[in-house]
Amino acid sequence: MNDQHIVSAFDRDLEGVQALVMKMGGLVEAAILDASKSLKNRDEELAERVRKADAAIDELEDTINAQCAQLIALRAPTAIDLRLVLTVMKITGNLERIGDYAKNMAKRTSVLVHMTPVEGARGGLRRMAREVQLMLKDVLDAYIQRDAELARDVLERDREIDQMYNALFREFLTFMMEDPRHISPCMHLHFIAKNTERMGDHVTSIAEQVIYLVTGKMPEDDRPKATRYDAE
Amino acid sequence: MFDAQRPGDTVDQKETKISARNVQVYYGDTHAIKDVNVDIESKSVTAFIGPSGCGKSTFLRCINRMNDTIDICRVQGDILLDGEDIYDKKVDPVQLRAKVGMVFQKPNPFPKSIYDNVAYGPRIHGLARSRADLDVIVEKSLRRGAIWDEVKDRLHAPGTGLSGGQQQRLCIARAVATEPEVLLMDEPCSALDPIATAQVEELIDELRNQYSVVIVTHSMQQAARVSQKTAFFHLGNLVEYGDTSQIFTNPKDERTESYITGRIG
Repeated sequence: MNDQHIVSAFDRDLEGVQALVMKMGGLVEAAILDASKSLKNRDEELAERVRKADAAIDELEDTINAQCAQLIALRAPTAIDLRLVLTVMKITGNLERIGDYAKNMAKRTSVLVHMTPVEGARGGLRRMAREVQLMLKDVLDAYIQRDAELARDVLERDREIDQMYNALFREFLTFMMEDPRHISPCMHLHFIAKNTERMGDHVTSIAEQVIYLVTGKMPEDDRPKATRYDAE
Repeated sequence: MFDAQRPGDTVDQKETKISARNVQVYYGDTHAIKDVNVDIESKSVTAFIGPSGCGKSTFLRCINRMNDTIDICRVQGDILLDGEDIYDKKVDPVQLRAKVGMVFQKPNPFPKSIYDNVAYGPRIHGLARSRADLDVIVEKSLRRGAIWDEVKDRLHAPGTGLSGGQQQRLCIARAVATEPEVLLMDEPCSALDPIATAQVEELIDELRNQYSVVIVTHSMQQAARVSQKTAFFHLGNLVEYGDTSQIFTNPKDERTESYITGRIG
C-alpha cells in the first residue's frame, strides 16, 4: 500500500500526533528511570523533579486527545488510519497512567528518605523499574516500526515483571515479620513494587494496541497470569 | 453500524436476492467488468464503491438490464434474481424494471405533474384499482421520498419546477411507488444538500426492512453509514466484498485500504 494520502495535510496531522506520543513516551521513560534512581540514591531533590515533571505528561495527554478528536471530526479516518487514531488514544491513556505511577514512586521516595533504610530492598525494585522502562522503550519502538513481533515479545516479558513482584512481595513480608519497625517503610516499598507491576500491565496494554494497529485484531488472551497473592 | 443486531434480523435469515456469476461486460472492445461473482442479500443495503471508471455503475446497470439500451454493450455470465436468470429470453425487461427500480445520479422527473410522476408506474402496472387507491399510493410514496410536506399543496404543479434536491426525492418516490423488490441507486445524493442526503439515507435504512437496496456512491462515509455490505471495484474487478464494518476498519486487500483511506493507489 502506498504510504501517502492524496491530501498531504492528513499525513501531517497523523505524523504530528504520533510525534507527540513519542515525546510523551520519552518523558514517561525518563520519569520511571529518575523515580527509581531517586529511590535508590535517597535523592529527595530528584524525586521532587519527577513529581513536577508529571504535569508536562498530563498536558501532552490533553493535547494528543484534542488532536485525535480533531482528526476524527475533520478527516473521518478509516481502516489503518482509524486504527492509528484509536490506538493513539489508548496508548496515551496508558502512558499517562504509567507517568502517574512514576510520580507516586517519587512521592513515596520523599517519605522514605526520612525513614530508616531497609537494607536489600531497593536493588530488586530498581531492577524491576529498569526492566519496565526497557519494555516501554521496546513497545514504543514496535509501535513506530509497526512491529507486531516485537510487541508480542514485550507481552511475554510482562510475566517476568509479575514474578519479580511476587519475589519482592515475599521479601517485604519477611522484613516486616523480622522487625515491626520495618512495617512502615515496607508498606511504601510494597506499594512501589505493586505500582511498578501495574506499569508493566500498562506496557502490556500498549503492546496489544500495537498488535491491533498492525493486524487489525486484538491478540488472544492466553497469557498466563503469574501474580499470586498467597502469602505462604 | 451495529444494526446487524436490530430486532427482527435474527428471525428472518438473510437470503441471497441477487446472485451474479462470472459476469463480464464489454463496451465494444473495452472489457469493463471482469468476471464478477457476488451474492447480494435481501433486506439489506449493499454499497458499491470504487474510483471513477471502475465499473461499479456498469455493474449496477446490469442488474435491471439498463445496459440493453446501449448498442455496443455486451453482457456475459449469469445474473440471478431470486434464482431466475434475468437475461433469459422469456424475461420482459419492463416487468423486470418494475421489480428492480432505479434512481439515477441526476434527477430526471417526467415533464408531468408531481402527482403524475409518482402515479405513472402504479398506473401502467395496474397497481391501483381506483383513484382513491392511487391517491393513497402517491401520498405514501411521496412520504417515503421525504418530500410530501413540501409538495402536498401543489401536487399538480410540474415536477420539473422543483429544486434539484426535491426533484431527486421525487424520483425516489417514483421509484418506490411500484413497490420494487430491489432498488438500485446510482449516486442518489450527489446533487443533494446534507439535510436532504440525511433524509434519503433515513429512507434507505427504512427501505431495507422490505427490499434489497444497492447503492453506488463516491462518498465513502455514505457507504459506511447506510450499508451492511460493501463491494470495492477497481479497474473492472471486484476486489473485495464483505461486511461494511470490516471493510472500513480492517480491509483485507491493499487496494481497498489505499482507496478508502484516501491514499494514492
